[in-house]
This record gives sequence, structure tokens and C-alpha cells, in this order.
Amino acid sequence: MGAFEQLLNGFAVAADPMILFYSLIGVTLGTAVGVLPGIGPALTVALLLPVTYGLDPAGSLIMFAGIYYGGMYGGSTTSILLNTPGESASIVTALEGNKMARAGRGGPALATAAIGSFVAGLIATLLLAFLAPSVVKLALVFGPREYFALMVLAFVTVSAAFGDSARKGLTSLFLGLALALVGIDGLTGQARLSFGVPQLLDGIEVTTLAVAMFAIGEALFVAGQRHRDDSGVLAIKGSIWMTGADWARSWKAWLRGTFIGFPIGAMPAGGADIASFLSYAAERRATKHPEEFGHGAIEGVAGPEAANNAAAAGTLVPLLTLGLPTTATAAIMLAGFQQFGLQPGPLLFVTNASLVWGLIAALLIANVMLVVLNLPLIGLWVRLLTIPTPWLYAGILVFATMGTMGANPSAVELGQLLVFGVMGYLLRLWSYPIAPVVVGMILGPMAEQQLRRALAIAQGDPLTLVQSPVAAVLLGLALLALVVPMILRARGQGEVLAHLAGNED
Amino acid sequence: MTGTPDHDARRPPGAAPSPRRVDRVGLIVAVGLAALSAVLFWDAARIPSTGGYAGIGPADTPRLIGLGLALLAAWAAWDAFKAPAEPAPAQDLPPILWIVGGLGLQLLLFRSAGFSIAGGILFACTAAAFGRRKLWITLPIGIVFALAVFAVFAMLLELSLPAGPLERLVFGV
Amino acid sequence: MKTIVLAALAAGALAAHAQAADYTILAPANPGGGWDQTARTMQEVLQAEGISDSVQVQNVPGAGGTVGLAQFASQAAGDPNQLIVGGYVMVGAILTNQSPVSLADITPIARLTGEYEAIVVPASSEIQTIEQLVEQLKAEPGSVSWAGGSAGGTDHIAVGLLAKAAGVDPTLINYVAFSGGGEALAAILGSQVTAGISSLGEFREQAEAGTLRILAVSSPERIEGVDAPTLQEAGYDMVVENWRMVAAAPGITEEQKAAIEADIEALVTSEGWQQALADRGWTDTYLAGEEFEAQLQEEIATTETVLRDIGLVQ
Repeated sequence: MGAFEQLLNGFAVAADPMILFYSLIGVTLGTAVGVLPGIGPALTVALLLPVTYGLDPAGSLIMFAGIYYGGMYGGSTTSILLNTPGESASIVTALEGNKMARAGRGGPALATAAIGSFVAGLIATLLLAFLAPSVVKLALVFGPREYFALMVLAFVTVSAAFGDSARKGLTSLFLGLALALVGIDGLTGQARLSFGVPQLLDGIEVTTLAVAMFAIGEALFVAGQRHRDDSGVLAIKGSIWMTGADWARSWKAWLRGTFIGFPIGAMPAGGADIASFLSYAAERRATKHPEEFGHGAIEGVAGPEAANNAAAAGTLVPLLTLGLPTTATAAIMLAGFQQFGLQPGPLLFVTNASLVWGLIAALLIANVMLVVLNLPLIGLWVRLLTIPTPWLYAGILVFATMGTMGANPSAVELGQLLVFGVMGYLLRLWSYPIAPVVVGMILGPMAEQQLRRALAIAQGDPLTLVQSPVAAVLLGLALLALVVPMILRARGQGEVLAHLAGNED
Repeated sequence: MTGTPDHDARRPPGAAPSPRRVDRVGLIVAVGLAALSAVLFWDAARIPSTGGYAGIGPADTPRLIGLGLALLAAWAAWDAFKAPAEPAPAQDLPPILWIVGGLGLQLLLFRSAGFSIAGGILFACTAAAFGRRKLWITLPIGIVFALAVFAVFAMLLELSLPAGPLERLVFGV
Repeated sequence: MKTIVLAALAAGALAAHAQAADYTILAPANPGGGWDQTARTMQEVLQAEGISDSVQVQNVPGAGGTVGLAQFASQAAGDPNQLIVGGYVMVGAILTNQSPVSLADITPIARLTGEYEAIVVPASSEIQTIEQLVEQLKAEPGSVSWAGGSAGGTDHIAVGLLAKAAGVDPTLINYVAFSGGGEALAAILGSQVTAGISSLGEFREQAEAGTLRILAVSSPERIEGVDAPTLQEAGYDMVVENWRMVAAAPGITEEQKAAIEADIEALVTSEGWQQALADRGWTDTYLAGEEFEAQLQEEIATTETVLRDIGLVQ
């Protein structure tokens, strides 16, 4: 088998002790920067990329792979422990993960995230290695109308999974949709809701919104209720390791997350965030413990975290085969590849085979290194929570504002941080869910643009939306997901479902 | 919902439970959503309708979302009158103001005073919100902390962070 | 503790960056994009060739570069150590965003690099030549869907110019904007649209792999290694170049301007710069002085006309 031999060759390059050392340094640096609150993987990779410049190509490639995985894992750590996701794909992890951390189960949450990331990274990287050329052909079947159908399905399944009250979930979702309108309309160049402020023409940065709503909103909320619960430090209860029950509940979620994440990440307009949303919705449906969702269900960490990592490996498919960076992190990786003389494109696997297989081997090694480094460190990370609350939150806010300033040092951007921070606080205070705001912000514009593109291509004929088999199937699934629970509930058999979709009153 | 009128934190102590009581938070939300909806419609009215071949133009989506918000505003108002209010957790105002003030000061000062001083002020204000009110201790700690962050991120990793007098003094940038 | 680890691991790098800045280059875009890469390549080469002791790059992203442009025009005025990178996209963005600050408010120094546009169809398409595509465009403009980058950008302008040159009403073109040349590429490869337009570099690999057919390029002369006519050859009088330039602050003296021009000339003639261009696949289209200024004025005028014709500027 040609591919397999080439992968072995890649490992031969990468198995040098010095190379393993570089990998360890990369993973350490990536984790160390990624774990800072409000600093997501894209910023981590961008910041640390120059550190790799001085090394020879093999060393620099492997250190880079280490930084990439380290940054992603570091991001989930802070999402879980501090409820401060630095990017949209970790938001869902924070949802259940932080509840677990608050119940003193931060250790198992971090462990299931680390092992889930490892399992997903391993499977997805192997899929990438052996399937990339054929996966990309499938991904190209997805045009605007197929993406629109996928967005509709995502809206239906995801919005049913958030919050206790349908009205509150929908309100949050529509707030996100409204915020997403700000800026230049991608299809016509018309400015919307920007009130003549040039900085608003590019719209609201999802990272800014996420950091403000989660990190700042959380800090305000915790500060405000100081006198009611002054324990401050979250005690670690029980083992920091996963129990047998945790393993039993996690492994299926890891696999489901992987197989949801990889194909979605591989689509030119997919993305790790959508994969993590869909995985969360799937876990919520598949679970035998629906009552735990919203209060710290381990599947809700295991699935999305695996999906997020599998999608990250998936994004390498369009990146390597088409030269298409589909996420911010991927765009920075593209810059990194160019430094190694890798020119991504359809000929890459032919002209640069040894470098590509070296990269894939590097990713696999970095993935192993990540678990090796981080499982023992879980105890240390959990101790983050023993930092006295005033210092912890003071530090979080300094880092969160630094991340925003570093990406765009403008008063308008910092002002958004303040406004959305207060908004996140009020939503928390009045028990409106936060995640749908960000979900609406991400899915809304994609749904709108893909719909308008599809209609433009068909010159305004709405039937085009159901004339492709893929789109028709996806829309059919969305319809089922919407109607079946209603019928079940109407028949009075829907106790579990009623809980899932929330109380209608 | 699961909340009952007995838990309404906003009712003055001793007042008799009354199912007719209006949920004030619900009304605020309803008014806020209605206002946002109005902004969306107002803004959409200024956008020239250039739907082109798609038939759906840039002004149509804001109208659709505005309509959704208007319906949600009505729903929130209906609930505020009909459904029992949920208990909002009791909150202290001063800590909130400390943090908001810290963020506001950082926003005003980061260009002129630089990252470290503005960040140090935010640090001290946040610590104050959590009960460490001794600013003469927390402010220097905050500034040193922010300076260390600046050293790592701006000097080592070349992230462009705003430099002020302090950064110029220490690093000569 | 993280701080210590980081500091210890990378302490060696500190010394290299501690000198005073000779130039600060403002890249009015996010890290990673074309303008940012141009600014950072300039930074590397200026320092490596000893033209400047220290160069810093600052990113001020937003609204097609107009946010950075406005900040530069007001804050850098009269400072001969400040430079800004920009390009053709900015010309269009200034018009469509009704930016209060324009290129007349800064001091353009030189055009550095450029990329030409290519018009492509998927390999499976029945359309073989640019003439066939234009025939279809003339017969039924709406039936030709064009995938390209953002609305009002270089790609959109080029389609507008082609329609005009072919005698088709530019308001009737069915231009489908994608968030970048890359995303458009996926739609073209998947045969979701009739044709695609973007920088040649975006399509070159695919054309070599035989998945796309290049129908025409927007350069004045044929491009080596590309088997396609220029639009001019095909009878459509137009040249579109997505160029990048460097400019200095407003209000500097003639001597200061001359000094900057000398530094930039030293930069572009250096071996390091030529090597960097080759590594990144950029074309050297260096043009300075009055010639550049004249060309800039002409481009601004044409762009304004075509954006009005498409209906993006009222």
C-alpha cells in the first residue's frame, strides 16, 4: 500500500529524538499560550509561528504541529475550568464542561476532553491521510443550496438543544442573528446597522462577542453574587481521573463526535464550530442521562471536543488539496506551510509527497505528545481554580482584553467588549442562555448568504433549493427533526423530548 | 417555568403573593426587543433594494429578523403579565460598577497611557470588585503583571499592543 | 509560571528586537492577508539588507483598508518614519464605503507587486473559449453566474469592465460574491456556477492539474506558462491588475519623500526582495514617481465609473 509506506517514511523522519523534543516544546508552548483565557487557537498559532522560523524544515514543521494541537487543547482547558472560551468551537465544551468543573468534576472533564481530542485527532488524521483526495470530491458536491439546507438542519437541531425555555432560547438566537447583520452585506456591498462607524463595516468579530459574553459576563455575574456564595474557590471532589462510568459514557461520544466533525470540517464552508454544535445536539438526543444535560453531562464535553478536533483535522483536507483555508487557524497554517515551501493545491500530494507525509506524521506525533504532556498536567490545571477569585478574575480580564487589543487595537473593539460583556451579564442574570447568541451569529450570515447565492445562481427560482438530492435530504431531515417531536408530544409520549425542547410556557 | 411567585426576589418583603403581579424584568426585555426590532426596520428602510437575480436583497433579512424580534417582544410581554416571574438572583451593584468602570477606564486610557497602565487599572478595579479594595497595593501589582504580559506578548512574540510612557521607559520602544 | 516557561524558552529572541524603529509599516488588514504579508516581507528585507535598522509592523484591519487608512492619515501626518501598505482593493473600498479619507490624503510612493485576474470555467464545462462565454453573456446575461471575491472588489470590477467592453449592460451581470477567491474556487470546481474570476494565482495549480480551464487573463501581455489569451487580444479593451503599493504619511517634505523613495528603490532592487517575491509567487511590478501617480489617478477614475455602472456607488 503506497500511502501506508509513505506514512512510515514520514514517521522515520519524525522519530529522531531531537524531533520528538521539538514536538514536546511545540505542544508545551501551544498549551501554555492557548490556556490563557480569551486567547483562542488562531491567535496562539499566529503568535508562536515565528518561534519555529529558526529550525530546519523537519523540526519547524513538527514544532508547528505541536503548537497547533497544544493551542487547541489549551483553549478547551480554560473553557472548561473558567467558562471563558477563546473561540467559537469551544463554546459548547464550556457549556457542560464548566458545569462539571463547578460540581468539582473538572478533572474528568479535562480528561475526557484530552482523550477525546486524542482519539478524534488520531482517527481524523488517518482519514485525512488516506481519504483526502476522495473526500474533497465529495465536499465539492456541496454548493450554496446544499449549504443552505445544512444550515437549516443545524438551526433546527441546535436550537432545540439549548436552554430550558423555548422563548428564551429563541430570544437569544434572534439577538445573535440581529448582531450578525452588522457590517457590509457580503453579496451587495451594502452597509447594514453600522451607523456610519467605519470599524463596524467588517461586522462584529465572533471572538470578541464570545470573549465578552463568556469571560466578561461571567466575571460580572460572579462579582455581583459575591455575598451569596463566598466559597470562591471550587473544591475538587472525588478523583481527578475518569471513573468507569465516565469511560463508558465517553467513548461512544468520542466516536460520534469524530464522525460528525471530520466531514463537516472537510467542507469548504464547514467549520469546527458548526461541527461542535451538531455533535452537542446529537449527544443530547442519544444520551441515557438527559436530566444531566445543562448540569454537567460528560457526553456534552466528550462529543463536541472530539468533533472540534476531528473538524480541525478535516479543515486540512480543503487546505492541503485546494489551498482553501476555511477557518482563521487554517489561514495562519497556510502561511506556515508556505514557509516550508509547501504550496497547497491539487498537485501537492504528487509533487511534495514527502513533506505532506512528514506533516501528517508530525500531526500524529504531536497528538500523542499532547496526551502525554497534558494528562499528568490535569492536576495542575485544575489547581488554576484554587487561585483566589480576585486575582483569578483580574488576570482573566487583563488577558481577555489583551487578546482583543492584539487582534485589533481599536477603541471600538474594546467598546464592544464592554457592551457585550454587560449584555452577557444581563442574559445570565435573567437566565437567558448565552450559547444561542453565538450560534445565531455564526449560522445566520452563512444561511443568508448561501440562500441568496443559491437563488442568484438559479435566477430567483426557489425550487432550486430542493432540486439537488443532497439538499432535499437535508431539508427533509430538518423537517423531521422539527415535526416528529411535536407529534410525539401531542400524543403525550414525549416526556423526554419535552425536557429536551424545553417547557413551552 | 419552574419558578413560583413566592420566589420573586423583586417583591418588597411582606407583600402578599399575587398572581396578577407584573414581571418587571419580562417587560424590560419586551421593550428592549421591540426597540431592537424597530432599529432593524429603520435601518432596512435606508438600504437600496438590490436583490438582483436572487430576488432577496440585503434589506430583506433584517426585516425578517426584525419581525421575529417583534414577535418575541410580544411573547415576552404576554409572559410578563401571564406567567409567574422567575426569581432573578440577588445582585450587588458596586462590584459590577467596579468592573464596568475598570473596563471603561482601560478603554479611555489604553492609547495614551499604554497597555500596562491601562491593564493595571483594569486589574486593580477587578480585584476591588472581588473585595480587594486596597488600590495602593493592587494597582502596582496589576501594572507589574500587565508589564510582564507586555514583555512576553509584545516584545517576544511581537503582538502589536499599544505602548505608552511606561513601556517606552522599560523597553525603549 | 507559563510566563517563565515562555520567557526562558524564547529569551534569545529578545535582544534582536530591542533597537529603535526606523520605520513603522501599517498593514491595514488582519495578520496573514496579502497586505500584511507585503508589510512583513518588507520588514524582513529592509532589516536583512541593512536599509533600516529596525522595522515594526502594525495591523489596523477593517473595511477594505479604509479604517487603517483613516488612522494613518490623521496620526502619522508629517512623520517620515511611517509607511502604509495598500492596493487596488482600497481604491474600490474608499468609493463603496464612502470613506472620508482617500488616497489623496496620503503620499503614494511606489507600486510594488501585482497579480492579474483570470477567468476560468470548470474542466467539464461546455464553454471552451472566452468568446463563447461572452456570446452567452450577451444572449442572456443572467444565465452566466460569476463566482468571485467580495462585492465591489477587484473581481467584481473586472466582470463589470468585461461586460462594458462587450457591450452588455453591467447592471445585468449575475455576480455571486463569495467571501474570498478560495471559497469561490470550491463553487467553480463543483460546477455550481458558470464561470469564475479571481487572481491567477488562485487558479494556476488547478489549471495545471486539469480541473479548471483558464479562458483569459487580464494582463496587457500573455503570461508565461499560461495557455490563454489576454482579454485585449480577444478584443475587449481592458487591463485589470490587483496591485499592492507602499505610501508615506501626508505633510512630509520633498527631501523626506525623496529619502523614502530611495529606500524603497534600494529595497526592490535587492536580492533579498527578488528572492522573497519568487518564494511567494508574486510578480514584481515596481513603478514609482510621476508615472505611478499618473497611473493611480487613471485607475481611480476608471474604478469609479465602473462601480457606478454596476450600481455599487450611487
